[in-house]
This record gives sequence, structure tokens and C-alpha cells, in this order.
Amino acid sequence: MTATLLEPVEVATRRGAEPGRRRRQRSPLVSVLMVAPAVLFLALFVFLPAAMALGIGFFHYHLLGVGTTFAGLTNFKDALSYPIFWRAAENTALFALLMVPTTLVGSVAIALVLNGTSRGFGLLRSIVLLPYVTPVVATAIGWIWIFNPQYGVANYVLHGLGLPGSQWLLSPTMALPSVAIYTLWHGLGFDVVLVLAGLASLPRDVMEAASIDGAGRWQRFYKVQMPLLSPTLFFVAFVSTLGALQSFSQIYALSSGQGGPGFATTTLLLLIYQTAFSYFHFSYGAAMALLLVVMILVVVGFQRWLARRWAFYQ
Amino acid sequence: MSAVAPGVVAGRPVTPEARSGAAARARRLALTGGHRRSKAIRLLVGAAIAAAFLFPVWIALVTSVDRASQVFVYPPHLLPSFDFSPYARVWRMEDWPMYFENTLFISSVTVLLALSTSILAAWALSLGGLRRSEAVFRTMLVALIVPGESLLVPNYLILYKMHLVNTLWAQIVPFGASVYGIYLLREFFLGMPRSYWEAARLDGAGPMRFLCSVAVPLARPILLTVGLYIFIGSWNSFQWPLIVTVSHSVQPIEVAVESLQQAHSVDWRRLSAAGVIATAPLVVLYAFIQKHIVAGISRGEGLSGG
Repeated sequence: MTATLLEPVEVATRRGAEPGRRRRQRSPLVSVLMVAPAVLFLALFVFLPAAMALGIGFFHYHLLGVGTTFAGLTNFKDALSYPIFWRAAENTALFALLMVPTTLVGSVAIALVLNGTSRGFGLLRSIVLLPYVTPVVATAIGWIWIFNPQYGVANYVLHGLGLPGSQWLLSPTMALPSVAIYTLWHGLGFDVVLVLAGLASLPRDVMEAASIDGAGRWQRFYKVQMPLLSPTLFFVAFVSTLGALQSFSQIYALSSGQGGPGFATTTLLLLIYQTAFSYFHFSYGAAMALLLVVMILVVVGFQRWLARRWAFYQ
Repeated sequence: MSAVAPGVVAGRPVTPEARSGAAARARRLALTGGHRRSKAIRLLVGAAIAAAFLFPVWIALVTSVDRASQVFVYPPHLLPSFDFSPYARVWRMEDWPMYFENTLFISSVTVLLALSTSILAAWALSLGGLRRSEAVFRTMLVALIVPGESLLVPNYLILYKMHLVNTLWAQIVPFGASVYGIYLLREFFLGMPRSYWEAARLDGAGPMRFLCSVAVPLARPILLTVGLYIFIGSWNSFQWPLIVTVSHSVQPIEVAVESLQQAHSVDWRRLSAAGVIATAPLVVLYAFIQKHIVAGISRGEGLSGG
């Protein structure tokens, strides 16, 4: 990277040197003007709010600016002693536990099936990826109908397999798994493409060497392909963990914004939304958001530690 | 293939080595035969998986054109009966053209804005004339790891102070710069051969002229991918518009679909039609651009936006 970096720098200095001093003084101004818009947008809508996010939770903030008082740790204490906050944290963790293993197994399985160069595989890959580009609320509507306990296709399929039907989104125990099923349908294609990219980058000669040494297909998969693929798998786990811990739209859509039945699908982000934007407790919501960030950092940090220990980087 | 002919290989008498070579080739042939069979099986299994992914879309389509008497039936209706009245009702009665216009405006302006700021910033950051450009760039990259959920409340407050809450622009400006775009374009500009610039300079082009007529056209593939990602992310955004708008007149399609769902939660034909209408543009778009989406994911991008 440094090698390519040097070239334009050289160009720039030479360009500056030849036409004389005026040019050299002017070019930084042009550069500054060119970076300015991007810097401005990032400063105003990422860095400033990020800094504010660290502060707002420690106040009782009111929208009109009057009556804003320092709150210390009150908001955080309130959140941590609020049973529904813990229920939401539990749901969020449970949702991640539902999503990450199924995403890993599902994406690897489908990628191994669809790993081919011919046109048929290309078409199938496109179909599996299709839901990923579709809008969440618009497609979730179809799934609410599919999950309808009385007339829906989901129970029709279960009955066809000789299994008892389920209340799906209306059941306190099945609601979150139902959301996970929708989320897998919507997002699994993304992970399949990631795994396929990982598979394509594996060195062929190692696989050939293994098969010459007499390794069977299963052995090759388990002892050669998977270890070589482990960086990709950790990346898939990382992305799907983040996605699960931050899930909002599909939960809102599938529960009509309620997080129900009861609080069965109230995840932290939904609770934060309701607290801050339905009840306008901005500071309380911001405090909860900080707690969610801490939770995400802990989980992701743990995963990175695992990756450093287990992943096989070439 | 002809080399497997017995007796003579490439005009030379057969040596034991050559014969064992032929045997190995035969073994490999047998292997590819096995490959072909396993490929057919994989194609079949893959087709079943793809069908499972398409099935929900099919159900939504069927429900949206079913006759009213065929919606609440069990077993569910799996083939359509072609009654298009729900579409007409959705389109006429629910201000859908307006929601489409809003969504199209928000997504296109976001793409234009984010691409312009990214091109300019990436160009300046790759020229090297800027002092501490490395530090600026690294700081920008930090924006990628700021967790989005911590920004919701502060960004709402910032837009409130700017009097932008409940406007179309509130759904655009927070996404006015794309760090991925800057990153990818800067890489591209840095890797561009120096001779291009020298040739342009000999022809009397300044840096801006060079940027507009050489560098940007060359970067078209990157602009296309990044632009598509921003467009789709913006078109599909739900959480942020939900937070920052209250009036129907400024809301995008996703929020409209949600309102419709909460208002008419049993009219499944109309709801399905609305879902299909909101999804169709993306499916059509996807048919043309899926190669770029795949390329983007393989490079580590993801759809963003509220």
C-alpha cells in the first residue's frame, strides 16, 4: 500500500514544484475544500452524535432545552432495575443465539451445494441472495400471513409433514424463533455469498494434496476446508452477531411495533426506540443504547478473542 | 484425449511411466464422472433450496391476486386466481404514487450527495497535497465502527435543532457521506497509473479537469457498486424514517406499508398487494445488477441505512 501511496504524492509535489510557488500554496486550499463536505457530514452526523451519545444518558434531557438537569447515573440505574430491560436483553441474547449458529451452518451448507462455476449454480445463487435486497417491512407482511395459525402456509407445511401446528408469531415461545426464521430467509443469502467468496479463495493445491494423500471427501471437508475457511466463518459469525444484536425492522414489522406477544419479541433496540421515540424519554433511551453498545462490545470482543485463538490465518 | 490411445503416445513408444500416466488419467476421468453425478445432485438440491427461498414470494403474489373468497381457506391456496382489484385499490386509495415519489427522491438524492462528497474527498485524500491526509482518512474510518444504535437519539436531537425533523431532508443528510465510498475510491485513485495524469497534464488539464474527465469515468464500476448499495439501503430504510417523520407526505414506502399493515391487518389481499408493489422495483433492479451486489459483498460491503 505504501508503494502505491508514494506515486500520487510524488505527482502532487512535482506538479506543485513546476508551475512555481503560487500553485503549491493553492493546491492545499482546493484539497481542503474538496474534503470539507464529507468531513462536515461525518462530523455532524457521526462524530458529534457519538460524542453526545456518551453524554445524554447522564442528563434528564428535554427537547425544548428547558428543564434539562444533570442526572448522574440515575438513567442507567433505572434501566438496570427495570425488569423489561432485562427481558429485552435476554430476548436480544436469545435472538443472537438462535441466529448465529443457524446462519453459520445454513450458509456453509448452502454454499457447499451451490459452489460451482456453471450457469445453473449462478442462477441459484442469485435466487438465494434475492431476499437480501428486498425491503423488510414489505416482505415481512407476507410472512405474517404465512405464519397465520389458522390459514397460513407454515402450519400447512407442518401438517403435511405430520407435525402439529404452531401459533408462530402469536405464541410467546415461538414468536422469537419465527422472527429468526424470517430473518434467515431475508439475510442468509448474504452469508452464503461470503462463504462462497471464502471457498473460492482457498488454495486448490492443498485440497488436491489431501485427496492424493487419500483423504476422503468428509475428511477433506473437516480437516482441510473448514480450518482454511475459519477466518471467513469467524467473519460470518461476527456479522450475524452484530445483525442479531441490532435487529429492529423485522421485529417491528412482525409484531406491529409492539414487541409482543407480551414482551416475547421486545429486543433492546425496540425497547430503546419505544422509550426514546414513543415516550420521548430521550436520556433514558440513550442510556439504554449505551448499555446495548457495551453488550455488543463485550460479545464482539469475546468473538475476536476466540478468532485470534482458533482461526487459521494464512 | 487422443493421448490415451493405446500403444503410442504422441508418436513415441509407450514406456511404463507413460502407461501409468494413462492410468492416472483414466482414474481422473472416472473421478470427473463422479464429479458430474455429484454436480447433478448438487444442482437438484440447490434448486430445492432456491425454491424454498422463492416460495414466500410466490405466496405473497398468489394472495395478492386471489379472489376474496379464496383467502381465508384451509388448506391455503397455492395457485392464483387473477383478481387484480387489490392492486388498483392500493394504488388509488393509499397515496402510493406519493410514497413512491418520496422514496425515489430520498434514495436518488442520497446517492448523488454521498457519491459527490465521496469522490471529492477521495480525490483530495489521494492527491497528497493535503496536510495530514493520512490522519484525516484514518479518522474517517473510525466512523465505520461507531455503533448505529447509539446515534439514534443524538441524531434526532441534532436534526430537531436544525428544524429538519419530519422532512424529506432528514432522511437524506445523515447519510450524506459514505466512508466505504471514500475508502474504495481513494484506493482506486491511488492505484491509477501515473502516466494517465502526466498525459492529461501535457494536454493542459488541471487536477479538477482530470478528475472529471478521466478519473471519475475510470472509477465507474466502483461508483456503480457503491451507488447501488446506497440506493438499495436508502430505498429499504425503515427505522430512521420511522423515527424522524410523522406526516404521510414525507414518508417513504416502507413506513407506508407498516401504517397500512396496522390499519388493515385482516385485508390480506390488499396488504399482499402493497408488499408486492413495494418489493417489485427492487426485484427488477436486482435482476440487472446482482453481479455488482455479489462483488460488493465479496469485498466486505453490506447494505447500510436505517
